[in-house]
Amino acid sequence: MTASGVAGAARGLFGLGASWTRVHALALNTFIEASRNRAFVGLGVAAVGLVVSSIALSQLAIRDQAARVLVDFGLFAISLLSVVIAVVMGVILIFKEVDRKTFYLVLPKPVRRSEVVAGKFAGLLAVLAVAVVVMGAAWILSLVARDVPVNPDMIKALVLVWFEAALITSVALFFSSFATPVMSGVFTLGIFLVGRSVPLLDELLRAKKGVLVRNPLVRFIAQAVTDTFPDLSVFHVGKELILGVPVGWDYVGGVALYCAGYCVFFLALGMLIFRRRDFV
Amino acid sequence: MTPAIAVEGLSKTFRPPFRLKKVRAVRSVSFTVTPGEVFGFLGPNGAGKTTTIKVLTGLIRPTAGRVAVLGGPPTSIEVKARVGFLPEQPYFYDYLKPTELLDIFGRLFGMDRSTRHRRIHELLDLVGLAHAKDRTLRKFSKGMLQRVGLAQALLNDPDLLILDEPLSGLDPIGRKEVADLIASLKAGGKTIFFSSHILADIERLCDRVVILDRGEMKAEGRLDDLLAGGRWEKEAVVRARPGGAPPRVETWPEGTRVEEIDPATWRVVTPGEAFGPVLQRLVEAGFEVVGAGDRRLSLEALIMGLTREASGAREVAR
Ligand SMILES: Nc1ncnc2c1ncn2[C@@H]1O[C@H](COP(=O)(O)OP(=O)(O)OP(=O)(O)O)[C@@H](O)[C@H]1O
Ligand SMILES: [Mg+2]
Repeated sequence: MTASGVAGAARGLFGLGASWTRVHALALNTFIEASRNRAFVGLGVAAVGLVVSSIALSQLAIRDQAARVLVDFGLFAISLLSVVIAVVMGVILIFKEVDRKTFYLVLPKPVRRSEVVAGKFAGLLAVLAVAVVVMGAAWILSLVARDVPVNPDMIKALVLVWFEAALITSVALFFSSFATPVMSGVFTLGIFLVGRSVPLLDELLRAKKGVLVRNPLVRFIAQAVTDTFPDLSVFHVGKELILGVPVGWDYVGGVALYCAGYCVFFLALGMLIFRRRDFV
Repeated sequence: MTPAIAVEGLSKTFRPPFRLKKVRAVRSVSFTVTPGEVFGFLGPNGAGKTTTIKVLTGLIRPTAGRVAVLGGPPTSIEVKARVGFLPEQPYFYDYLKPTELLDIFGRLFGMDRSTRHRRIHELLDLVGLAHAKDRTLRKFSKGMLQRVGLAQALLNDPDLLILDEPLSGLDPIGRKEVADLIASLKAGGKTIFFSSHILADIERLCDRVVILDRGEMKAEGRLDDLLAGGRWEKEAVVRARPGGAPPRVETWPEGTRVEEIDPATWRVVTPGEAFGPVLQRLVEAGFEVVGAGDRRLSLEALIMGLTREASGAREVAR
């Protein structure tokens, strides 16, 4: 390698380092914002309450059903609340900066607009990680309290819940790079609901009869949706946990890649739009 | 020498959503700011000052024209690293303390921890907020926020400062402090570009000005030159004896006029050179002169004068 090549590489690496410093600073700010937001902290408390209340719920179930209820309902509550946090925060954070004009202070600083989007995303990932850990701890405690056997696959289930929330965050950030919070929220929820229904659509497509088979246009659309939309069912291993089917790290890794692909796609689109925007 | 700011034929048109009418906020504005000068950007409300400044700080893109800041595009990281910006009525992350806010901005400038720590405390002292550094910004008053805004604009020790109405929201002492700060920054070799709609502020601080009105440039140059040309006026405040009539000035030197302050008090305005004789006639007519001095020319009067002058010049040219 020539000397100029080395210098260029060093500059490139230094540039990356500087960029990371800025993304980190913006992520830190996002994290502080969330952690000092009463609504968010309230949501966390509510989530823990919900998980704990599943203990009460399990009291009502028949003896051997209790474990099932605890595992399933707890995981369901955690994933639902994580997605709610992802949608609400993802949709509102950028809008708030525009609305309150705090971007007038941030964007003229030596940052790229893409770094601002990346910083929000990274900050929200951290927020969601804390939320999942806190709710997950409450969940596992509720299992221990009722003598349900705990196993390491439950950690993997929580990691997968976090991945799903990350994907939804990237979708919310993408929409909020150009739409109003309400519109962004509706669009994001739309993608979420369709994403959760992908296995169902798939099943209908493979069925012998029904509207999807008969109408070619509907069939085409349904096929396009199942081919392109993220299949959010891959993030849910509640059934496996209950049936005692092991969840391997290779599965978690594969899902991580799947999730990262969609995140990169939505964030890159969001950055492109965000870069061209006027902040009036 | 590379100009600190070069603006050429800048236009910005807003098209508010769901409305047909376009707003031409800035129309072919051109000016150049030389390094080391204090440059005033003067214009009444809605003139297009903030819009121009948003282009200069990379927040919005021009509809037409070219802009260079420190020789580069305003959105470039290298340029932005050398610029400090105070937006108009700055609003901050109100859940942070000023030290936390400046710390995050310091990280964006790539400053290391010890530099940030030193600089933040230096600046909070400078803008007089050392006593409030442990309060969240939510609890700050308007003038205090303006001071935080100044502190963050100075964080990176910028070569160029772009300040949108830096003196607004401050009490008289604060205005004086900030004006002194601008003067000392200039002495330190900084280039300062600041907007205002108050002629006196600009007059005190600026080397050169651009005057903007409804998106159009009315003048560029030294304020002294713009103010010269016999448009300096003087005024006397006079009071009549009870039941007295206002001064009758129809036959007095041209340009003399009377404004009523209250039913027994009037302000008599005259061209500078006619002031002596007019004062004498007022005394002879039995009025009590309770005050006299230079007339504060308002920005509106100056712009009107410039517009009249420009249309006069066109008529002469024809
Ligand atoms: N986002 C926008 N959409 C439509 N019109 C706008 C927008 N922003 C500014 N304008 C219009 O552009 C014109 C110039 O506004 P600008 O804020 O630049 O004025 P200004 O000189 O800064 O005034 P002030 O002294 O009141 O701050 C105004 O007529 C304003 O209504
Ligand atoms: Mg303005």
